[in-house]
Amino acid sequence: MLKRVPRWAKLIGVVVVLVGLALIPGRAKQQLEVAKEFELTPIVKLPHVGPVDLSINKAVVYLWIATAVIAVAALVINRTLKARPGRFQLAMEGLFELARNGIVGSVMKSGADTWFPYIGAAFVFVLVSNVIGLVPLPFAEHNQLGFYAATANLYVTLTLALFTFAFTHYAGIKKNGPVHYFKNWMPKGAPPVLREFIFVIHGVSEIFRLVSLSVRLFANMVAGHAILAVFFAMALIFQSYLAAAILQGGSAMIYLFEIFVAVIQAFIFAILSAVYIGGALEQEH
Amino acid sequence: MDASAAKLLGAGLSMGLGAIGPGVGLGILIGKALEGIARQPEVSGDIRTNMFIGIGVTEAVALYAFVVALILIFVAK
Repeated sequence: MLKRVPRWAKLIGVVVVLVGLALIPGRAKQQLEVAKEFELTPIVKLPHVGPVDLSINKAVVYLWIATAVIAVAALVINRTLKARPGRFQLAMEGLFELARNGIVGSVMKSGADTWFPYIGAAFVFVLVSNVIGLVPLPFAEHNQLGFYAATANLYVTLTLALFTFAFTHYAGIKKNGPVHYFKNWMPKGAPPVLREFIFVIHGVSEIFRLVSLSVRLFANMVAGHAILAVFFAMALIFQSYLAAAILQGGSAMIYLFEIFVAVIQAFIFAILSAVYIGGALEQEH
Repeated sequence: MDASAAKLLGAGLSMGLGAIGPGVGLGILIGKALEGIARQPEVSGDIRTNMFIGIGVTEAVALYAFVVALILIFVAK
C-alpha cells in the first residue's frame, strides 16, 4: 500500500512529522546526573571486616549475574552436546575456536595448552560482563532500569589484570627458574651500571602493563556507558521532542557501536594476557 | 577564573588534546594493516590479530586522557 504513495508525498510527510515534533513544547527541564549512574550504593548492608566493606552493591550483583550466565551456559552446552550441532552449540563452538586458535594459538608458541584454560576463562568472563552491561537491568536508583557493567569498575578490572600479572611471573619463574628469569630482564652485553638501570625500567614497565590492562578495559566501558547516558540525557536537556527523536536514533547507533566495543575489549584483554604470559615463557637467552 | 571553571576547562582540554595523538596513531596503524592485507591477503588473519593488539595499546593513551578528565571533574578538589 505504501508503494503507491509518490516520493514527494513521503518527503512532505516526514517534514510535517518533524515540524510537528518541533512545535510540541517540551516538558519541564529535568536533571539527569550521568555520574550518578556509576555510583555504588549498597543494596544489602553488611558489616565491615577489617578495612573491607562486605556490602553488596550493583557491581557485585553484576558479577554474580555474569557468573550465573556463564555457569548455566556451560552446563547446558555440556548436557546437550550433539554430534550434529544446533545453533546454540555452533555459536559456543565458534567462541571456543576463537579463544583457542584465534587468541591463544596465534600468540603463544609453547604453553598454549597449559594457559588456555585461564585465558579462555578470562575472555569469556570479560565478554559476558561487557555484554550484560548493555542489557537494561533494574539496579539503578529506585530500582529503575539502568545500564551498568561490572567491568566499568576499576576494582573489578584491576583484579582481573592482577590475575594476568601474577600468572605472567609465575609462568616465567616456573619455566626459567627465578634467577634465570630475572637475569633475562637485563640485556647481556650492557655495561654494569646500565644493566641495573635497565632492570629497574623493565620492572616499571611490568607495573605499567598492569595499569594499562586494567585502565583500558575500565575506561572503555565507562566511556561507552557515559556516552549512552549523555545521549539519553540530551533529550531531557534540550526539552524538545524533535531533538529527542533524532537523538534516540543517535543513541541506537552508539548502542550498536558499544556491542562492537564490548567484544573487541574482551578480545584485546585476552590477547594481551596471552602475549604477556607467552613473553614470560619465551625469553631470549 | 574560579576553580570549578578551571577544572572543567582542564578536563575538556585534556580529553581533546589527548585524543589527537592516538587518533593519528590509529589511522596510521589501521591504514598500514589494510595495506598489508591488500598486498598479501593470505596472511590477513595474522595481520588482523596483531592489528587488534596494536589498537588496544594505542587507544589506551586516549583513555588515560579520559581518566584524567574524569579525575579533574569528579575527584580533584
